Amino acid sequence: MINSCALVFKDHFHIPPEDLQTFLKTALSRGGDFAELFLEYRIFNAILMEDDIIKETSESVGLGLGIRVISGDKTGYGYTNDISSQAIRKTALTAASIADGNRDYTPPPLYPKPPSRNLFILKKPASAVSLADKIELVKSAYASAQQHDSKITKVRASLTDLIQYVTIVNSEGTAVTDVRPMVKLVCLAVAEKGSEREAGFYGGGGRVGYEYFQHDLKPETIGREAAGEALHLLDAEPAPAGEMPVVLSAGHSGVLIHEAVGHLLEADFIRKKTSVFWDKMGKKVASDRVTIYDDPTIPYFRGSYNVDDEGIEPQKTLLIDKGRLSGLLQDRLSAKILNMTPTGHGRRQDYSSIPIPRMSNTYIEHGEYDREEIIRSVKKGFYAHHFQGGQVEDTGKFTFSVSSGYLIEDGRLTTPVKQATLIGSNIAILNSIEMVGSDLTYSLQTGICGKDGQEAPVSDGCPTMKITSMTVGGAR
Amino acid sequence: MNSNILNRELKDLAEWAVSYGLKTGAEEAEVTVIDSREFEVSVRMGEIEQLVEAGSRSLGFRLLCEGKTASASSSDLDKKTLTHLIRNAVERAQLGHYDEFAGLPEKTEFTVEPESLQLYDPKFISLDPKEKIRLALETERIALGDKRITNSHGAGFENRDILGTLASSNGFVQQYRESYGHLSLGLQAEEAGQVVEDGWGHGTRFLNELESPEEIARKAVNRTIRLLNPRKIKTQNVPIIFEPDMTSWLLGFLFSCVAGTSVFRKMTFLADRLGDRIADPRFTVYDHALLPKKLGSIPFDSEGVPGRNKTVVDRGVLKHFLCDTYAARKLGLESTGNADGGGVGPTNFFLENGSIDPADIIKATKKGLILTRAIGHGLNPVTGDISRGAVGLWVEGGEIAYPVSEITIAGNLGRMLEDIDSVGNDLDFSHSVCGPTLKIGEMTIAGE
Repeated sequence: MINSCALVFKDHFHIPPEDLQTFLKTALSRGGDFAELFLEYRIFNAILMEDDIIKETSESVGLGLGIRVISGDKTGYGYTNDISSQAIRKTALTAASIADGNRDYTPPPLYPKPPSRNLFILKKPASAVSLADKIELVKSAYASAQQHDSKITKVRASLTDLIQYVTIVNSEGTAVTDVRPMVKLVCLAVAEKGSEREAGFYGGGGRVGYEYFQHDLKPETIGREAAGEALHLLDAEPAPAGEMPVVLSAGHSGVLIHEAVGHLLEADFIRKKTSVFWDKMGKKVASDRVTIYDDPTIPYFRGSYNVDDEGIEPQKTLLIDKGRLSGLLQDRLSAKILNMTPTGHGRRQDYSSIPIPRMSNTYIEHGEYDREEIIRSVKKGFYAHHFQGGQVEDTGKFTFSVSSGYLIEDGRLTTPVKQATLIGSNIAILNSIEMVGSDLTYSLQTGICGKDGQEAPVSDGCPTMKITSMTVGGAR
Repeated sequence: MNSNILNRELKDLAEWAVSYGLKTGAEEAEVTVIDSREFEVSVRMGEIEQLVEAGSRSLGFRLLCEGKTASASSSDLDKKTLTHLIRNAVERAQLGHYDEFAGLPEKTEFTVEPESLQLYDPKFISLDPKEKIRLALETERIALGDKRITNSHGAGFENRDILGTLASSNGFVQQYRESYGHLSLGLQAEEAGQVVEDGWGHGTRFLNELESPEEIARKAVNRTIRLLNPRKIKTQNVPIIFEPDMTSWLLGFLFSCVAGTSVFRKMTFLADRLGDRIADPRFTVYDHALLPKKLGSIPFDSEGVPGRNKTVVDRGVLKHFLCDTYAARKLGLESTGNADGGGVGPTNFFLENGSIDPADIIKATKKGLILTRAIGHGLNPVTGDISRGAVGLWVEGGEIAYPVSEITIAGNLGRMLEDIDSVGNDLDFSHSVCGPTLKIGEMTIAGE
């Protein structure tokens, strides 16, 4: 069997499989219950175009190994990018010291294998595309933004691709390898009119091959959309301030689900009882129209993976079922403490990070309403169109930042407006989701989620939705 | 110039990479090697949750071939890997474009002795891990002793020991070592079914400057308790009093608007305003790289340009954009020694202390909001627009009346700078970007 990951493992780590067993034994030598090695090798490439020139290209190699030992509810962790036997042994002993006893346990033999499915079958992986061809893609996005309108005065376009090889082995016999590709092409355009200046952003990608930019999202579209957003904002007025009905656009508004629901169902916040949801399992927390999933198994999506960073095969997880809280995002440790089944949501930024429960691709299931019907139902309100991101506290208070939107007057979108923050308490807002559209759409495949200082690629999705009333924080 | 060599192996590696780059075809080369050690413990409810101890190394470089730039980095320091990366970079540079502004800084004779800045406290690094764990446990224990606290996010202590090496083809080779430690705590309190949360943390380079567990616990408890029983308020325009750590984010936003990289990209509303009056005359902002022991101090930046002290806004007048060599050349300016590995970063970027006691600022406020925490990302440097979720304390008749939550504040940095009402006298350098209490004349609060 051809297993590129195994080859990479052998080429870069030079560790015979039987040594993996020995390192795990060392990691458990102080009495830990569970030990794990996470070996990572990654290659990242970037191209930047700015001021009409290809300004810089870069390449980055990451190689390292993290060792985790769990003893009771405690975690010991060490990592190193010196992969000599001596350094790995030392790292294993560091992680081992979370326990303070003795144990002589030899874990089962380990022969890392790829997971049972591959969600990322690529026609043109990054390694098969020449730098010259990649540069052409960047130039196309750049040129289409620049030529879109004479008011576009600055453009920046960049292309990044990444391939990450991981090998995860643990003292319970898990031994898995995985290969995770990632590509992202983004464009930023600045438009000027007199002394007014605005910037627009657009981009796409995912765990896809370069064929994506021929068929799914053309670089020209990325450039044009970025320029269009900047021009749109030039004509926008300051957003209103106060409580009013809010209609959330399909796709981009998925960030609301990510912040208001997803984070607070990450099982570490539940077991610590800091999440407002900790005692609400099985209870009604949202209106009947709301059904929410987190699905790491959507092929080619940014947030997807064949196996999580603890070696567990991920499950599409139902979080909210017609308004009722019905599932959590679990990692190994939280599932163990809560005595629940892991869902394969243990993720880590890289070998230097401890895995924690994270979202992957989070979305709200479509409803029955037509988008126009939803907008028509609002006499006076706010339509949130594009977003910059959001933040949530464990108490359920969340915000998200709208970069552009419209006023709704007498059932129609009227004045374009910019820069507003929406704020609310999650359970209150979830209960005031009054209409859910039939147009489930996913947000741009460019999203990054931050938690505990770790970044993870994610995506989210939602149909057009109406919230009865929400605080809109504009400047007017 | 080689008086500060702390680790010969890493210095040799950096110099080897420079010379290999030149040998392979580059005209200029710059190499950075970072060697860091970290210790981190998090505790919760009196028990250790996580203990992390590790060391890691990485090497990054930038090469120029005929004015074309290629860069790379690696955490694999195997010579075979590095050789391959350097060859790749030289090859890649051919496909880039000539950029007249690209290149390393001119060689300067002036240098800053790293020792003079006192960036390293061996006592902090060599502190017994047991003591580090005790500090975290003690901080949480004291806070949980207060009956009003109902849950803990946990306390944490972290410690970093970083050795940086920079070598370049213009003959520069220097090393310096930094220490850093941070103790923090997050809490929740509950009353009438309403949960509120906050916390406190403090980071320093020197152990004897770190706030004690008692101090951190006391601040975290007070900050949390004062938010109990919040109200929502009506949409209105009122004065906003920024507590010092809120002034920090405002200054951070100002930094992104005066960074030379934002200026040549036209990604800031201040792009055409150098030399103009942009703020109230009581508003003076510095970027000082050479303050001993301070968190943002550096002897030289990531290109080897010596750190220096700059006045960014002098009594309301915009004096400097902060630049690396590239941004400076694009703008026809001089590097200010703010290169930060491919971009521009602040050193100690701070608002000059005022003369008014924060308590007097509150007393002089008939109606307004003390901003204690902001959430969300609504900052747009291109326009200066600000819109963020806010938590704070409502002031009425010069006194704190009650906490408020679920509101947003909105304004525009350009207009806020002209609308400075008062500057407090409580600057404490607890962050590298910081300032004292600051009262702005008016911002929009969105509530009911």
